[in-house]
Amino acid sequence: MGSRPEVTDPALLLLISLAAGPKHGHAMLLDVARFAGIRLGPGTLYGALSRLVEDGHVEPLPPDGRRRPYRLTRAGRRLLEARLGGLSRAVRTGLERVGA
Amino acid sequence: MKHSRMTRILLRSYPPAWRVRYGEELADLIAQSPLTPRVAADVVAAGLRQRAHAAQLALHGGHVMTIGPAWRHPTAFAVIGALLLLPTFLFVGASLLGYQLGVDAMRDLVESVTGAMERWRIVDLLLVAAPPVAFIAAIAPLLRFGVERRDGGLEGVVAVRGRVLNAVVGLVALLLAGMLVWHIVVESVLQTGA
Repeated sequence: MGSRPEVTDPALLLLISLAAGPKHGHAMLLDVARFAGIRLGPGTLYGALSRLVEDGHVEPLPPDGRRRPYRLTRAGRRLLEARLGGLSRAVRTGLERVGA
Repeated sequence: MKHSRMTRILLRSYPPAWRVRYGEELADLIAQSPLTPRVAADVVAAGLRQRAHAAQLALHGGHVMTIGPAWRHPTAFAVIGALLLLPTFLFVGASLLGYQLGVDAMRDLVESVTGAMERWRIVDLLLVAAPPVAFIAAIAPLLRFGVERRDGGLEGVVAVRGRVLNAVVGLVALLLAGMLVWHIVVESVLQTGA
């Protein structure tokens, strides 16, 4: 097992990517590859993205040329904070238990 | 941008409604890198997942069920309401001018329409039915009812908004309906008394 971050949930990765500002699909793909070391497939990315839009966590912006950027909504930011908070507690507990 | 035949075939794995909304963006993203078997498998698997999700939503009513067909087209509905209202508005306006203000030309016009109404009762019915129908058309886009799944239960949501054009058409329709009802009641009382 390497030292690569083990967050693999595409929705969470997209929320983290969009927390830095609006992005279109290709920019999200590159950003996720950069910070998580994971190359999301285009189908996986758009599947997660459309679900986030449907649930009101992400919203589309007017097209920028041929590309359409997306941004995090307030509900999306709250969801991201909650999920990262949960992960952070789990990591802290794990580190305490292994004595790190 | 013209996408490859293979990309178009891969996109067929998605539900049509999803394809209309996201198909072009996904095809652009696929075109950014070589279309390897791994990318093709990812796209098809995601498409099939999306079809399963769409079928599940259709079966269970989705996260949110909205009843508000006019909500998206308020101006169109206000215009339809105004057009429905126009003949009654002109007829009542001409009647007021003719009989209340003594404009003879208007009285002649109203009498010719009244003559037509006696020959074809449908004209009478349409003139009387138009205000309530126009009222519903104008006001419907201001209301939306929804049912949401929340915490394992169903929750009803009512949304109301204000739009000047719809409100004006709705008020005029209500006013005309009130005048017609008043006229019909007074006429029937007079006939009963006579």
